[in-house]
Amino acid sequence: MTNRYETRFSQLKASGEKAFIPFTLLGWPNRRNSLQIIQAMIESGAAALELGLAFSDPIADGPTIQKAAFETLASGFKVSDALELIREVRKIDEQIPIGLLVYYNMVLAKGPEQFFAGVAEAGVDGVLIADLPVESADELQDAARKAGVEMIFIVSPLTDEHRLAQILQHAGAFLYLVSRLGITGVQERYDSHLKAIVASVHKTSHLPVCVGFGVSTPEQAHSMLELGADGVITGSRIIEIVSETGSEFNLQNLKDYLNSMVNSVQLTAVD
Amino acid sequence: MRTLGKFGAFGGVYVPESLMPALAELEEAFLNSVDDRTFQQKLNDLLTNYAGRPTPLYHASNLSDQWGAEIFLKREDLLHGGAHKTNNAIGQALLAKSMGKTRVIAETGAGQHGVATAMAGALLGLTTEVYMGEVDMERQKPNVFRMRLLGATVHPVTAGGKTLKDAINDALRDWISNLANTHYLLGTAAGPHPFPTLVKYFQSVIGQEAKDSFQQNHHKLPDYVLACIGGGSNAIGIFSAFIDEPSVKLIGVEPAGKGLETHEHGAVLAKGSIGVLHGMKSMVLQDEDGQIHETYSVAAGLDYPSVGPEHAFLKESGRASYESATDQEALQAFHELCRLEGIIPALESAHALAFAKKLAAGSGAGKSILINLSGRGDKDLQQVMAQ
Repeated sequence: MTNRYETRFSQLKASGEKAFIPFTLLGWPNRRNSLQIIQAMIESGAAALELGLAFSDPIADGPTIQKAAFETLASGFKVSDALELIREVRKIDEQIPIGLLVYYNMVLAKGPEQFFAGVAEAGVDGVLIADLPVESADELQDAARKAGVEMIFIVSPLTDEHRLAQILQHAGAFLYLVSRLGITGVQERYDSHLKAIVASVHKTSHLPVCVGFGVSTPEQAHSMLELGADGVITGSRIIEIVSETGSEFNLQNLKDYLNSMVNSVQLTAVD
Repeated sequence: MRTLGKFGAFGGVYVPESLMPALAELEEAFLNSVDDRTFQQKLNDLLTNYAGRPTPLYHASNLSDQWGAEIFLKREDLLHGGAHKTNNAIGQALLAKSMGKTRVIAETGAGQHGVATAMAGALLGLTTEVYMGEVDMERQKPNVFRMRLLGATVHPVTAGGKTLKDAINDALRDWISNLANTHYLLGTAAGPHPFPTLVKYFQSVIGQEAKDSFQQNHHKLPDYVLACIGGGSNAIGIFSAFIDEPSVKLIGVEPAGKGLETHEHGAVLAKGSIGVLHGMKSMVLQDEDGQIHETYSVAAGLDYPSVGPEHAFLKESGRASYESATDQEALQAFHELCRLEGIIPALESAHALAFAKKLAAGSGAGKSILINLSGRGDKDLQQVMAQ
C-alpha cells in the first residue's frame, strides 16, 4: 500500500519541489483556534503536517512548546480530543500526510496496538516518538505496521554511520534531521557537517531528509535546503507567532509567516 | 551502547536521539573506571579521607527498647555533606573528569544531591549548575545557601509542580544542549541506562560496609533491611549487599504523604502503573493518557512520580517488598529519633524509621532491623518547626 508520504514526496520530486512541514500542538491555544491554525497551514501550501500531542514532561522540547503543552493539558484537552481534531483535519484535506509527534509514555498508556490503531483510524500516516531510540523500536514496530502507520525517526549531527544504518532499517515516511544539538526552539546555530549527513543518507536510502529544530526564518529554511535537504520542519516559531498575537487570536501574522516560508522553500526549489 | 541496562522488563534507554552518544560515552567511561586502579584508588581515597567513610553502624538501644526490636542505623547522615548522596557525587564527578568534561549539572529535590554535587564540583574544579524546583527551594532553603556557598549556580525550575520531576526535565534539556563539555550528574538510581547501574555501583559501598560491620559485631545477618524510596539510590545501595542473602527481608518505604487514599502521595510502587519517564521504563504515577501526575510528600527528596527501575524489578520478582509511611508517621518517627537517640534524621530517612516502628510492633518484634539513615535533618528544621 502506498502511503500518503510516499505519494506526496514522489510528486514533489517529480516537479522538483521541496517540502515545507509546519508543526503545531493539537488543541492549542484551544480546540477551535488549533483547527484554524492547521487549516492555515494547509492553505499556505504545506507539503505535510507535524502535529504534536501535549505531554506533561516534554524533555525534547524547549520552553515555547513546553508552555503550550502545559496550557493545553490545563485546559483539559485529552488524547481523545486530539484524535477527534485530526479527523476534522482529514476532512479538510484527504491527501496531506499527517505526522504525529508524541512521547513514548503516551503510547504505552494506551497500549501500542490500541494507540496505533486509534491514530491510524483518525487519519495519521506517521508517528515520531521523541524519546524512543532505534534500539527500542522493536517494542512498537509490529503495532505500527499492523495499523499501517510509518515510524519516523530522528537523526542528529552526532549520529554515527552505524546508528544511521540501524535507523534506516526501521525508518519510514522521511528522516527527521535535527539541524543542531539541543531541544526544539528558535536559535541561530547550525552544524557544519549537516551537508555530509544529508549526502550520506541520500547515498544509502530512498527516504527524504527533512531538517528541523531551529529552522525558523525563510533564510534558515533556504540554507537548509541548499545543503541538499528535501524539506524543512518549523515548529516553535509558529507557536511563538500565535502567542505574540496576545489574547485576541489573529491568524493574519501566522498566514504571512507561513507564506514567507512556503515562498522561500519554493524559491530554493527553482534554484 | 554495550547493553540497554534492563532489569527484567524495566530500565532501558528511552531518550531523544541526540542523547544517545552521551550515554554511550558514559557507559564506556563507567565500565573502564571499574577496572581502572588509578580511578579506584582516587575514589577510595576521597571516600575515606574527604567524605569520612566508613560510616558507623549504630545499635540504637533506646529506640530498640521503646519499639520492641533490635534497631540498627547505618549512619549515612554522618557522611560529609550530610547524606549518602556524596558517594555518588564523588564517583560521577571523577567519571566526568575522566571523560574530559569541565561542567557538571544536577537536579535536586531535597537539595542534598545538589549540595553533594556542589562539593564534588568545588573539590575537582568543575563548573557546577543545579536545577531545583521553586517549591523545593522554598522548603529546603539551607541547602540552597550551601550550594551557593560551594560555588554552584542554582537554577529555579518554575514548570509543572516545581519539584524534583521538573528539575530532572530541565537538567535533561540542559544536557542535550551542552553535551560536549557537560556531564549530567544524576542523583538517583533512575533515568536511562547506564545511570541506574552506575549510581547503584557508587552507592553499594553502603551495603558492603553495613553487611561487614553487622557480621563482625553480631556474627549473623540482620533479619530486615529498610530504606526510604524516592528515586531509590540509598535503598539500592544498602540492598545491594543483601540481595543474594535470601534470609534477609528487604523493605523499601515510599512516601504516603497525606494518605494512599488521597492523591497527595508519592507511593509509586503501591499505586503506579508501568510507564516511561526520564529515559527509563519503570512504575509511574499517571493518568489514562499517560500524563504524569504531580506527587506530594513532606520530604522533598521522596517527591517523585517514578522510581528506579531495579526497585520495580525487585518488587515484581518478589525479592523486596515496598511499604509506605505517611507524613504524620514520618514526623513522629523523626521526633522519636531526636528525643531517644539524640539524632536528627532527614525527613526522607524518617519514613524508613516510621515503618520500622510498625514492623517492630508486629511481625518484626524482637528481630534485628537494619535501617539506612540516609541523611541528617538539619535541612528540615524550618519545615519541622512549622508543623
